[in-house]
Order: sequence, then C-alpha cells, then structure tokens
Amino acid sequence: MSEDRSARVNEVGAADSGAMATATRQAVEALAAADWLRAVVLASAAVTLALGVTAVLIAISGKNPLVAYAAMVRGAVGSIDRIAFALNKSTPYILGGVGVALCFRARVINIGAEGQIAVGGIAATWVALNIAASSGAIVIPAAIVAAALGGAGWAAFAAAIRLTRGVHEVLCTLLLNFVGLLLVSEALHGPMGEPGAGFPQSPLFKRPAWLPHLLAGTDLHVGILIAVFAIVACHLLLWRTTFGFRLRVLGASPPAAAYAGVSFPRCAFAVMALAGGLAGIAGGIEVLGVHYRLIEGFSLGFGFNAVAVALLASINPIAVLPAGLFLGFLEAGALAMQREVGVPSSLVFVIQGLTMVFVLCAIGIGIRQQRV
Amino acid sequence: MLEMRGIYKSYGPVRANRNIDLTVPPGKIVGLLGENGSGKSTLMKVLFGIVRADAGSITYKGGALAGHSPRESIAAGIGMIHQHFMLVEAMTVTENIMLGWTRAGRWLRPRAIGELIEGASGTYGLDVDPNATVGGLPYGKRQRVEIMKAILRGADLLVLDEPTSNLSPPEAGRLLEAMRRLREQGRSVIFISHKLGEVLDICDDIVVLRDGEVTGRCSAAGATRAELAHMMVGRDVTTPIDRVSRDPGPEILAVTGLSHTDESGIERLRGVSFSIGAGEILSVAGVDGNGQADLVDVIAGLQRPDRGHVSLTGRDITRWSVQARLAAGLSYIPVDRSGTSIVPGMTVEDNLALREFNRAPLSRWCCLDRAGFRALAASGIARFGIRAGGPDAPARTLSGGNQQKIVVAREVGRNPRVLLAFQPTWGLDPGATRFVIDQVLALRQAGGAILYISAELDEVLTLGDRIAVMYNGRLSEPVRREETDRTTVGLMMGGFAPMHGAAHAHPA
Repeated sequence: MSEDRSARVNEVGAADSGAMATATRQAVEALAAADWLRAVVLASAAVTLALGVTAVLIAISGKNPLVAYAAMVRGAVGSIDRIAFALNKSTPYILGGVGVALCFRARVINIGAEGQIAVGGIAATWVALNIAASSGAIVIPAAIVAAALGGAGWAAFAAAIRLTRGVHEVLCTLLLNFVGLLLVSEALHGPMGEPGAGFPQSPLFKRPAWLPHLLAGTDLHVGILIAVFAIVACHLLLWRTTFGFRLRVLGASPPAAAYAGVSFPRCAFAVMALAGGLAGIAGGIEVLGVHYRLIEGFSLGFGFNAVAVALLASINPIAVLPAGLFLGFLEAGALAMQREVGVPSSLVFVIQGLTMVFVLCAIGIGIRQQRV
Repeated sequence: MLEMRGIYKSYGPVRANRNIDLTVPPGKIVGLLGENGSGKSTLMKVLFGIVRADAGSITYKGGALAGHSPRESIAAGIGMIHQHFMLVEAMTVTENIMLGWTRAGRWLRPRAIGELIEGASGTYGLDVDPNATVGGLPYGKRQRVEIMKAILRGADLLVLDEPTSNLSPPEAGRLLEAMRRLREQGRSVIFISHKLGEVLDICDDIVVLRDGEVTGRCSAAGATRAELAHMMVGRDVTTPIDRVSRDPGPEILAVTGLSHTDESGIERLRGVSFSIGAGEILSVAGVDGNGQADLVDVIAGLQRPDRGHVSLTGRDITRWSVQARLAAGLSYIPVDRSGTSIVPGMTVEDNLALREFNRAPLSRWCCLDRAGFRALAASGIARFGIRAGGPDAPARTLSGGNQQKIVVAREVGRNPRVLLAFQPTWGLDPGATRFVIDQVLALRQAGGAILYISAELDEVLTLGDRIAVMYNGRLSEPVRREETDRTTVGLMMGGFAPMHGAAHAHPA
C-alpha cells in the first residue's frame, strides 16, 4: 500500500516538474525577448535625449540645431568618402575596445589602451623607417607584428607591476599612459624626428609601408578588416576556448575561479598582454594607414574612448563592433558639423560625451543582468 | 499582543504567503516552523515592514500597523534579530548599542549606557560585557549583543530568525535560557526554526507553515516531533537512512600534522591528522569557524599549509595544483553555493563543467567542445533530477536545492576517490537534504573515501563510520560511531570536554 502511495507521489512529482520546466523555459524566453526589445527602445531614447539636450546647447551658441544636425548626418554618412573617414575613425576604438572588454570580463581594469596604442605606434614606425624592403607584403606585416608586440609588452609591464608588487592595475595602466605618450614625444624630438620639420613628427614612410586601401579613391584602409577579424577572434576566444571560460569564471566569481583551479595571475597577465597587443595593432594601423608617419599626440583620447566603447558594448566582444562604429561615426559627423556650421569645437566633445552617458545609463540594467 | 490576520503576499507567480493568521499573546514564545521557502521569512518581513503584504491586517498592542517601515516597527517595539548581525566589529558593545539610538542622547554617555547594559545583562542572563570589542566576541555573544540592542530599544516582541543554527549546543542552551527569562519579564518572542527539538522544548504555541500556508497550529505541550515533521513537509521524512555496515577498504586519504595560518595571521589549523579508507565516511562535527573551512581548502588545494602533508592513495599531493588533485579523483563540495561552487550568472551547463572544462570530453586542445557540454548537462540533469529551464538557464534561476544538485552532479557524478563535503546540506530543506545524503551514501557504497563536515549534530552522528570533532583548529581522535554519543560530541563541540586527539596537538 505504501508502495502505491509513493508511486502516485512520484507520478504527480514528474508531471509537476515537466510543467514547471516548460513554464520556466517560457518565462525565461519571454524575459530574454523583452530584454532585447527594451535595450533597443532604451538606446534609441538615450540617443534622442542626447540630441535634444545638445540641440539646446547648439541653439545657445547661436546656430540652428537642425542645420547643424543635417551637417552632422552628411558628415557621417553623406558620401563614400565620409563613410570611409568614419570607418577609419572607428578602427582604433574597436581594436582598443575589444581588448579592454576582455580585460573587464576577467575583472582586470585595464585603462592603459592609450599608452599601449602609443607604444604600438612607435614600434610600427621603427619598423617602417628601418626596414628597407621594397615590398609592402614584408614591411606591413612586420610593422603590425612589432606594433602588437610593443603594445603587449607595455601592457605586460603594467600587469607585472600589478602581480608582483600589488600596485592596482588602474594606477599602473593609467600612469604608464603618460609615460607612453611622452615616449612618442621623446622619440620624435630625438631619433625618430624628421630633421628640419617644425613639428614633432617622423619622416614620411616610404610607399611600401603605407597600408593598402580597400576602396580606390577613398582613404579607407584595410584596418577595419583587421578590426572585424579581431572582433570575431575575440568572440570565439571568449565563448569557445578554455581560456575564455577561465576569463568568464574569473569575472563572475573569483572564489569560484580558485575552486575551479583557475590561476588569476596567469589569466590576468595573458589577457592584459592580449589587450595590449590589440591596442598596439590599433596604434600601428593609425600610423601606417592614416598619417603615414608618427606624429605627436596621434593617440590622444583613443584609450579612454576604447574604455567607453567596451562599456557601451556591455563588455561583450561582438557588441564592440557596433559600439565602436557608433562612436566613430558620431565623431566623424560631429567634426563635419564643426567645420560646416561653425559649432564650437568644444561642443563636439559635449555631444559625444552626453550621448555616451545617456546610452550607458540606458543599458546600465543590461550590464548587471548579462550572461557570463 | 500581536495579531496578523489573512496575510497574502505574492512575488510574481510565487505565492509566498496565503491567508496566514498569526497570534502572539504577551509573555509567550511562539514557534514558527517550516522548511526553506515555506514563507516564514516573508511573513516576518511583512511584520517588520521590509515588504508590503498584498492583503491582510496587522495589529500590535491594539494599534494597526500598515504601510510601516522597519524604523517604525522598531519604534513601535518590535525587535528583529537576523542571522547576519548589524554590528560594527571595531566598536565596543556600548558603542554598538548607542549607534543610531536617538534615545541614547545627543551627547555620548558611555558610562550610563554601560550601566544600563550591565543591568539588563543580569536581568536576562545575557552575560554581555559593555566594554568588550565586538570583533573579539564569538558568534553566540554577538547574537546576545543584538538581543540586548533590541531590548534596550524597548522591544516587547522579539523575532529570532533561525537563531540557533550557528551555535554549539551549550551556546544554544544559553540562548534558550535567555529566551525563557525574556518570557518571565512579560516579553514575547517569535522563534523561527526548523529544529523540532528546540521548538518543542521552548515554545508555548507552534505554527507550522508549508508552501505559504498554515498547515498546523498547536500547543507545544502534547505535540510530538513526528507530528510536527509531518505538518512541515506533508509526508514522512523520518524513514531511517539505509546503510550497510562494512569494514573500510585500504587507506585512500591521509592527512598528517596539517597546520595553516590564514591571511590575517590567525592560526586556523593546529596539527590536524587523520586518514580515511575506501568506502568510509569520517564525519566531523564542530561549530562553524573552528578551522573546518581551512581544513577542506587545504586538502582541496585552495590554500597551502604551513606544515604537514596530504596524501592520496599513497602519493604526497601537498603541493599539487587544484586541477591535478581533481584529475587524481579528489572532489570537493564547498559550503558557499552562491559564489564558490556555483557561478550564479553562468548557465547550468557551464556550472556542471566548472571544474573539468579543460579536459576531454569537455574540451580538445584549447577549444571547448560544446557537444561535450551538452551531453554532460543532459546526463547530469536526467540522473540527478535537476529542475531547470534547460541547460542554458542561468544557475541563479534555480532554487538552492537544485543548485546543490548541480554541485552534487559535478562532484559526486564523476565517481571520485575522495569527496570532501563541507556542510553540503546547508540551507537545504529536508527533501533536498535527504537527496544529498543519499548521494553521499551511494558514493560510500561505491568505495569512495568521504570527509563529511557539518555543524548539524544529527547528520554527523548518523552518517559517520567514524566521528571526530573540530575545535579551535584541532581535530579529536576519530572514534567509531558506536563508541560515542550525542552528549560527548556536543560537549566537545563547545570545548567543554578534553579532546581525545591531544596527541596530535602542539606540545605547548
């Protein structure tokens, strides 16, 4: 008799659990769908709000906001040339941002992309100036590899200070930014400077060292392809490799990582070096593809924009692509607005800053609820 | 004194409280009994004003309480003692009691308050020294400081949420004595617990909750454990644990002279030695914080010992990495589910793979094999009956019991040589507890060597082939289950009896 009863209980339990599982799955799916929709609505609202506030500022500065915005849209996407310009602008943000996103995933607060980009630029410049090869097929890969190594080395330096001396990585990456920027100046006033130029810059690279263009007649160089490739690689790295799994566990819970046998020092060092390498490549692309020479302050602001892009993407590598493009196009448009309508240049940064803040506020909920 | 009538509270689809009535007369102790998730905490949050009820009324000392905040509840004379204390460790008892107490005056009068504390301490048998620094007090004393805080602020009704769950038996006894004194002074107490014995011992009336409803209401006089247990779970859970007694096989895990000092420089382990054979459970009793956490962490490789050795089937693994130990067949169920053994934000699948993600069949070279993850999740979910929205559901969406099933599936499902189980039933309801215990026993049957550490005396006494007690970083000499009893172990837990294992202690 008691067997009877327990069998019945089991049956009820099984039916119960089946129904519950279905209900739970439906609830989770509905929630996910709602989240996605909400994110889009919130992001659109944020951009609209930022544009609205900026319109008031533009009006205060004595210009017509509608005219200014028309110029901004034209400046961002008005022609092939403009789009090429915006894509070139986006490239370093994407490369820097995806590395920062990976670091943040593992709770390593790397804000040193700026310095890593600068050192990458120096390394690429050294190769471009000193390797006397006539073929771009040799010089360019060599320069990019040198840039990656330079950036990685600079980041690894910061990681080593963090891991051996316990200095917080925010502090060492930040301080090494200043050192990196000054190294560029030092190089340009010394060994790499162009003799007789009135401006701190290196000599123009020889033709073979220039990054090839993607579209004839525009400035669009192959950097954006490298950036897209890096995004895909980092996405696969994070979700499909054991290293990515380690990063995700570390970021989600350090005690769980210790329990799973994941070594924080090793992972932190590796992810810093990786991010530094990506930032270094961004620096190399910038000197080889945009300026064709090293110039002082070429990386100014890139590092912080990379952090902004990583956050905008909710530290999700694949989302760094749209986030980086967003920032690049926004900047391209804002610069055109300044040029065409005469909106004060400071307002350009205000627009960028406000848009970022509003968008970040809108997706703030998303960051907390994300899957790891 | 307190009347709660027709309380309803839902969290989304979950109906946490349904039509609950609760009456507390002056000078009585009312036991609120129920499993985890039965609605006890929700009801108390409604009472204290932390959450709002959907329907129902609360009357306290003749006045209605509605839409009140916790601050207003305190002002009205309700005191709540949570399991996590709200005390500043660096301050003295007096300072903690003055903190945020407006009636203590704008000028600090530590001496006057100290006298108040001493007076109340005597009246209620709380034994609290006003000048002691809270950081140096054991858990039981801190709890009494919290009670003192509530009493001095004029609480006539005290709510104690699972107050004995972290206390040794002698300390629990002191607490129950203090509760009796409170009752003598005309104060009322709501005592939340799932320990039937204590509830029967001290309460006047008992209210049992299950699935958000009152399933039983009785006077403590005349009630029996079996009746209460039945009301609490709706079925009999007192079926005895099946175990075949057998002689242990060859020695699998051996620990000799382990000492460990934690980061703050406190010596947590002082020369611990024991060994466990195949198919044997060594169960270790002890009040939390006597070195148990350090012992399992050191054996599992999460901490390095200062001295001593750990060996597994004769090989010295003292300096092996966590991963190497895992590969050698060492499993570990830590106590902390919410951030160590489970990563709440990761999926069920990832959590099942948490510790062996870098080995076949879960990965090849450096790439994860998603098909391997899927297969592992499917078998784990089926074999251990994990109730989840699917292998992709984040672990945080699962109940505590189901999260622990993930841990058990991962650690026991791989048929380890050694299992370190540190309070594996902590915070679980009787059904889930039974599941974990059955799995541990099945592993014993399959020849695993098991170190089972628990603060629950009953578990220790029923599960262990041999039993030892941990106190102040030392482990007593393990004795066969038949050779010890509840009282002896209970006294040793409180440090009131000599540890047989003195031979292993320091010569000092």
